[in-house]
Amino acid sequence: MKHLERKQWFAIAVLAVVLLITSLFAVRTVRRAVYWRLHRDEVIRPWMSVPYVAHSYRVPPNVLYEAIGIPLQSHDRRPIRDIAREQNRSVEEVIATLQNAIARERADNPSESQSPSPGRSP
Amino acid sequence: MSLTDQLLAALSLYGLPLLFGVVAIAAAGVPMPVTLLLVAAGSFVELGEMKLWQVLVVASGAAVLGDQVGYALGRWGGHHVLERMRRRKNGEAKIAQARAFAKRWGGAGIFFTRWLVTPLGPWLNLTSGIANYPWGAFLIWDVLGETLWVVLYVLLGKFFSERVQALLDILGNLSWVIVGFVAALILIWQLLRSLRPTETLHHAKVRGLS
Repeated sequence: MKHLERKQWFAIAVLAVVLLITSLFAVRTVRRAVYWRLHRDEVIRPWMSVPYVAHSYRVPPNVLYEAIGIPLQSHDRRPIRDIAREQNRSVEEVIATLQNAIARERADNPSESQSPSPGRSP
Repeated sequence: MSLTDQLLAALSLYGLPLLFGVVAIAAAGVPMPVTLLLVAAGSFVELGEMKLWQVLVVASGAAVLGDQVGYALGRWGGHHVLERMRRRKNGEAKIAQARAFAKRWGGAGIFFTRWLVTPLGPWLNLTSGIANYPWGAFLIWDVLGETLWVVLYVLLGKFFSERVQALLDILGNLSWVIVGFVAALILIWQLLRSLRPTETLHHAKVRGLS
């Protein structure tokens, strides 16, 4: 086999780096997909609005509005970040309040709001 | 908050105008996580906060518009780049080969960088313009590809509307897997070409560089 030129060695090195990075991302993708299958609930993030969280966790939006002290009749589509800022609270505090409200709602109405957990027999 | 979080929060507040602006700017070449924005818009459609047809029309329109900006920059702004290339040894031949390449593979390249290998999209807009790829053909492939991209991700977001954050995390990683895979394929292809016997090597080099 003839000797490789310097440029070809360089291309092989770049290829090795590309393959390494690609496989790292592939592993991460698979791990996220596995996580997806195992966890039914979304992690509540600052960008989410109250209607979105209610939709995601299958609880009535009113329960959540009430928990964080927003008038029930309003359709407030602001992200949690903005609500927290307006209420002079930290985003984490508001998220914790929402999580508590969700847990309470689910405990009160287990059949309606609880999403089926994987592996449970029908 | 990350850039993605900021964008999603803004989408929730400002809706369609924000979607239009961000998608157009991203298509013109400013790197932004717009695929994720489409998924989130899909979930807002499911929530009843946005209308499906409006999201589809606004997002595709913005993407096509942004792509035309990139193409125009390449076509009319890439002039002195071309002049400099022309003055170099074999410059004229290389430009002709680049144009032939764009003509032969341009359509497929434009189509697939619209929805599958999206990070390469803005770059291809520029090179299509520089290579003088016919504007009509560019527009047709562009509209087809961008529409597919928008419909695909908005519907994905609508379908998995309860799990947007989890979906975003998976897609964010997957898009880099696809880009890496395509980059590896191109590198392997070029390596194999450069390993061919010497009489075709010069030819391969010229084509490889063009």
